Amino acid sequence: MSARKNSGARWARVLVVLQIACVALPLSIIAVWAFTDSWPWPNLLPESFSLRGMQTIVRGGDATGLGCLLLSVEISVVCAVLTTAVAILAARAICFHRWVGRTAFEYLTMLPFLIPTTVFAMGVQVAFIRLHLAYTAFGVVLAHAIVALPYAVAIMTETTCGAGQAREQAARTLGASGLRAFWHVSLPTITPGILSSLCMSFIISFSQYFLTLLIGGGKVRTFALILFPYLSGGDRTIAGAYALVFLATTLLVFVAFRVILRKTGGSTEETALYGEA
Amino acid sequence: MEISLRNINLTLRKNPILQDVSMCVPSGEFVSILGKSGAGKSTLLSVISGLLLQDSGEVYFDGECVDAVPTHKRDVSVVFQDARLFPNMNVLDNVAFPLKMRGVRTPERRERARAMLAEVQLQGLEQRRTHELSGGQRQRVALARALVCRPHAVLLDEPFSGLDEEVRDDMRDLVLKLHERHDTTIVMVTHDGFEALRMSDQIAYLSGGRIIQVGKPADLLIHPATPEVVASFGQTKAFEGVVCDGEFTYGKLRIAAPGVEGPAILVHTESGATEVLPLDGASAARATGGKSTQAAADNVAQANAKE
Repeated sequence: MSARKNSGARWARVLVVLQIACVALPLSIIAVWAFTDSWPWPNLLPESFSLRGMQTIVRGGDATGLGCLLLSVEISVVCAVLTTAVAILAARAICFHRWVGRTAFEYLTMLPFLIPTTVFAMGVQVAFIRLHLAYTAFGVVLAHAIVALPYAVAIMTETTCGAGQAREQAARTLGASGLRAFWHVSLPTITPGILSSLCMSFIISFSQYFLTLLIGGGKVRTFALILFPYLSGGDRTIAGAYALVFLATTLLVFVAFRVILRKTGGSTEETALYGEA
Repeated sequence: MEISLRNINLTLRKNPILQDVSMCVPSGEFVSILGKSGAGKSTLLSVISGLLLQDSGEVYFDGECVDAVPTHKRDVSVVFQDARLFPNMNVLDNVAFPLKMRGVRTPERRERARAMLAEVQLQGLEQRRTHELSGGQRQRVALARALVCRPHAVLLDEPFSGLDEEVRDDMRDLVLKLHERHDTTIVMVTHDGFEALRMSDQIAYLSGGRIIQVGKPADLLIHPATPEVVASFGQTKAFEGVVCDGEFTYGKLRIAAPGVEGPAILVHTESGATEVLPLDGASAARATGGKSTQAAADNVAQANAKE
């Protein structure tokens, strides 16, 4: 029995290593390209290295460099927070209340899954022009939030229904108003879901290209807008540098979300939250 | 605090759950609501606590109608069957939670929480996380949390279900001790007839959303209103207690026992007959044939059946 367990554990470790390798190896190639000056085929290793790629980003200013990165992060963080907040409310309406049209509402939140982004973008562009939201950062945030909403609602609905309302009811019988019961008891319980929703919404927004191009009209220059032409163009050094910064920024934001949630009293340890009966 | 329910009616998803329920829980008393699963007992507790609003009828606390008072302002704590501790807090913070909601400062609320944990015999476990506790420990924490803010009433929703028998006995003793010490009005929901007999000043039997019988434990045991009330006390059982001044005592159960004095057993048969037998040497041996209390009960049941 012990030999079987050890064999099982060994195969599990092999699978994990393979999975990590599938992700890490391509990323490591990008990291190498970010600092490569010349790497002609069929060389296995680069011929020379340089900081040209990183310098392009640092010296690019608002248009193509760190200013552009900051704007992207701002747009995506606002999108993530907005989408998650709406998803929490939608999830509570779906999980805890019975009302006419509840099932239809639940399906409607999934509509952006069914409609291609290009079709959605062209339709919402017309509406945003009328509402004076086109070519603005806020308009881009709203458009990204609509596309990210189904993911956030799906995550928060599962989390909220799983957590249930029982503890919130107990808190109310112990003197907590509805809002305080939610803040002190329910919100910490659904923190793992909130973290997933924030990260998913962030990455969807951060990597949007066509939607940002159409709604932003070229005036709202996000990092993805700058990165994509380099990817399809010939300069792999600059493309690699942008891709590396893209990845590093995403990871940093994920860590920041986790730290903030922990500091506000939430626990991201699911066993601690769901371990008891 | 006296709790009074007048003509409470509640329908959920087109099913009548509570029908014209009226009862009074005198201040400081321990009242059990007894009945089968699905009788509406937990729903009645939810109406008292304000978690559910009744369709018609009124809930009164000390003569004042509280229908418009939200749950968190009714000052009525609830201990649920599944404890419902907060996993994001340790044991001490769980117990201190009601005090925090009432604006008590941190040092004072921690001190009061510690004192309450000592009362439920859980001192030393303040820093434990809730998932590290056993079932019995979780219910003790839930009890401490419900009592720490000295509420006007405590509602217990089958608090001992899901615990094994030995832990259940300890918990019952603890609840009775806390009731005596704090003199709080307690309403307990249970489907265990003998638990209700032992712990209650009064029992209300609920069936199909209606109150069938209300009275002292002895009344329901000796003069049950319906066969369903009889059946709630289940199979033949025997309790060891004491007869003083012609009255048999077992917890809060009091039954007249003329002609018997000192240690005794009360035998209750499935058919509803009751008999108090002395537990002194010779007569105990005659009654029990030298066997255990349960065997004595079986003897009496068989004798009654033959009669």
